[in-house]
Amino acid sequence: MSLYFLRRALGAVLVLLVISVVVYAIFYVAPGDPAKLACGPRCNPEQLRQVREQLGLNDPVYVQYWHFLQGIFVGHDYSTGTGTMHCDAPCFGLSYQNNQQVTDLIAERLPATLSLSVGVVVLWLLLGVGIGLLAVVRRGGLLERALIWLSLAGTATPVFVSGLALMMLFCAYLEWLPFPSYVPLTDDPEQWAWNMLLPWVTLALLGASIYARMTRSSMLETLAEDHVRTFRAYGVSERAIIGKHALRGAVAPIVAMTAADFGSLIGGTMLTETMFGLPGVGQMLVRSVQTVDLPVVVAVVMLIGAAVVVANIIGDTLYALADRRVALR
Amino acid sequence: MRQLPATSRRVAAVAVSVVLLGGAAACGPEKSGDSKGSGADGAPQKGGTLTVLNRQPQKQFDPARLYTSGGGNVPSLVFRTLTTRHRANGAEGTKVVPDLATDTGRPSDDAKTWTFTLKDGLKYEDGSPITTADIKYGIERSFAPELSGGAPYLRDWLVGGENYQGIYKEKKGLDSIETPDAKTIVFHLRKPEGDFPYVATQTQFAPVPKAKDTGAKYAEHPVSSGPYKVVKNVNDGEHLTLDRNPNWSEETDKERHAYPDTIDVQAGLNSAVINQRLSTGQGADAAAITTDNNLGPAELAQVTGDKKLASRVGTGHFGYTNYLAFNPKAKPFDNPKVRQAIAYAINRTSVVNAAGGSSLAEPATTFLPNQKSFGYTPYDHFPAGATGNPEKAKELLKEAGYENGLEITLTHSTAQDFETSPEIATAIQAALKQAGITVKLQGLEFNDYDEKVHKLSTQPDLFLAHWGADWPSGGPFLAPIFDGRQIVKDASNYNTAQLDDSKVNDEIDAINKLTDHAEAAKRWGALDRTVGEQALTVPLFHPVYKRLYGKDVKNVVISDWTGVLDISQVSVK
Repeated sequence: MSLYFLRRALGAVLVLLVISVVVYAIFYVAPGDPAKLACGPRCNPEQLRQVREQLGLNDPVYVQYWHFLQGIFVGHDYSTGTGTMHCDAPCFGLSYQNNQQVTDLIAERLPATLSLSVGVVVLWLLLGVGIGLLAVVRRGGLLERALIWLSLAGTATPVFVSGLALMMLFCAYLEWLPFPSYVPLTDDPEQWAWNMLLPWVTLALLGASIYARMTRSSMLETLAEDHVRTFRAYGVSERAIIGKHALRGAVAPIVAMTAADFGSLIGGTMLTETMFGLPGVGQMLVRSVQTVDLPVVVAVVMLIGAAVVVANIIGDTLYALADRRVALR
Repeated sequence: MRQLPATSRRVAAVAVSVVLLGGAAACGPEKSGDSKGSGADGAPQKGGTLTVLNRQPQKQFDPARLYTSGGGNVPSLVFRTLTTRHRANGAEGTKVVPDLATDTGRPSDDAKTWTFTLKDGLKYEDGSPITTADIKYGIERSFAPELSGGAPYLRDWLVGGENYQGIYKEKKGLDSIETPDAKTIVFHLRKPEGDFPYVATQTQFAPVPKAKDTGAKYAEHPVSSGPYKVVKNVNDGEHLTLDRNPNWSEETDKERHAYPDTIDVQAGLNSAVINQRLSTGQGADAAAITTDNNLGPAELAQVTGDKKLASRVGTGHFGYTNYLAFNPKAKPFDNPKVRQAIAYAINRTSVVNAAGGSSLAEPATTFLPNQKSFGYTPYDHFPAGATGNPEKAKELLKEAGYENGLEITLTHSTAQDFETSPEIATAIQAALKQAGITVKLQGLEFNDYDEKVHKLSTQPDLFLAHWGADWPSGGPFLAPIFDGRQIVKDASNYNTAQLDDSKVNDEIDAINKLTDHAEAAKRWGALDRTVGEQALTVPLFHPVYKRLYGKDVKNVVISDWTGVLDISQVSVK
């Protein structure tokens, strides 16, 4: 078991290294000169030279990458002009745009992204499993068809359409909710929840339908199995069959999927954060890609990569725990 | 040139594409309207909180790094400068007026030396006095590569500025800035610059106390000299809170009113959401404005249909021209007749429609913006009328040897910003087709486009371009585009026609000697007219800005300098 985790951890480190190399490589072939963007329009050649030097862009790519790795393991010292700023390990460098430490920028924005993701996962499970269950109970009926159609519509509607539509309905027209603006949980939990409600629902609608369809199909699959037929023959109630046996069959895949999805959600919150103006990591990534801010882009992409890898490990572990036929090797 | 960063253009594009949804709800009930009418009337009073809803976060808040026209919007509430823009409506607002200084500067030595004297009783937020040494220090730190981003003028103009690496590396400072006493500051320039008072409005001229300077970290707690101080700046400029600076005195500042007690800036918002929030005016949004979010064509149509909302739209003009740029060194554009033919063939009505319609764009036949302060002198050397003159264009093409038509490529960006975007390019393509010119369109991603068009080796032969004013004068508008000595080889080049005409260069030098703005403006206008004869560019349109403001917002002032509702004048009580 411990050997299993050691192997997975090593694999994770390898994946992250590969990700960082790939992002560096893409960055160097993509258009846009970070020195010019930091230096401002009409920056004169001498100043551009100085800025390029200061950002370390004159070094060969492999040297820049080596400095980046050094920063992660031993930290880095930077000049602020008036003094020295120490960036503790793991140091992902300074933003090209405003010289702020990338780790600080991410730390500042992680709460908003986590607020969104955790809430969305909870809603996915509640809505998704709930709808799936309902569809199974009422299978063959009008309700099942309606639910399947609704969940299809949910999957097919992009966040920037459903988000805006919900905002216009609940904030502008009905005025039931405030236009979302992020309030930290630690400042005011109630306001935090009210302001997060629309972003949660918007993103949850997209995923809940997938969970609903998955719950439904897993359960239907179990219901078609021989042992369920035997249960029925013995006169076990339909309620017990669905609630106890069929649902149990669906639990393992749902748990595994939730863990894996939670990891990729951190990356998938970009559109929702941009739509609702939430100060999260995804929104920062979008903006940093546009301004060719490599240190921020690499760090955020690695963070997303790490989240996906860790979530997958957790997902696999939970799957094994939920289904005793699966062994961790 | 101060221009919107690429990000905002793209965000705007996304917003516009979904705006129809927003428009439907904009016609919904206005529950908290209280039949207050426009809210823009009535005597302004002190108090309350003004909310600013913006797309772009205030990522830079170091006075050295800000690239502003006239000191900017939010920054100008915190940083006072030697001079500033006059906070008045329309053309009156294009004047430069004293701020920290007693006047707009005293020129000597053919406008190569400029002397300023500070007013009495100027203080920072901590009560300590503002001295000229702090202004000198603020300028010298703006040369540091750690604090890059500002406009290029100080580096280009100050004696010794060209290779100076900033006060952190070269502690001796610049000899060309003298401070004989705490109240006097003297600038020595390489050549005459009659527009120096305008440059002194930029935030690099804000005082920075050396003892409080923390270099690259100064932006976190900049020391205020203006009516407000920064009490909160989180998420990289996405949420700023400004409170009154108790040591600012209205006595020394005739321009900023500072009516609200608190200014709450929320940025990083979606364009459609900002407009919807301003229109609904729920809670704090009733006392909200935006300094960077325009109404798009579809939104404007919705707003105009609602009288109440329409009365809350501010219209602004900022000196800006969108144009077609040629490389006159490349075939077939090396032939003036081909360039003229294209100028004749342009259908400005369709171009204006592509840019959002006549409320959001005005047709342009001059390179200079259509404002007096720039020296606007009407001319139309190649009259295309409202819808183009394809016959005349064909005639010229025939004379140029292209009687069987011509095939060319037009490069544009894919930003969908209504400036260099595909819809404008398509309008031009259709108009030129009438004259027998086949236009192939080449769309580039915005960063790619920006890099290619401003690099001599990759510059396309024909592309959509735009130019905006760093201050309302002909100098910063014409010189970077047409001065032969401003052809830049190793950085971004804006003289894309690569014009190096000694007559033009000499005239630019001669006008720069003038310190009488009205006199200089006349000469800039005449120069524009002369250069225009060469058809190096085809002016297309000047944009007009329409922005909503909240229903409790009073004392709306929009100058032609910025085209934006002036945040320092707004009252919410």
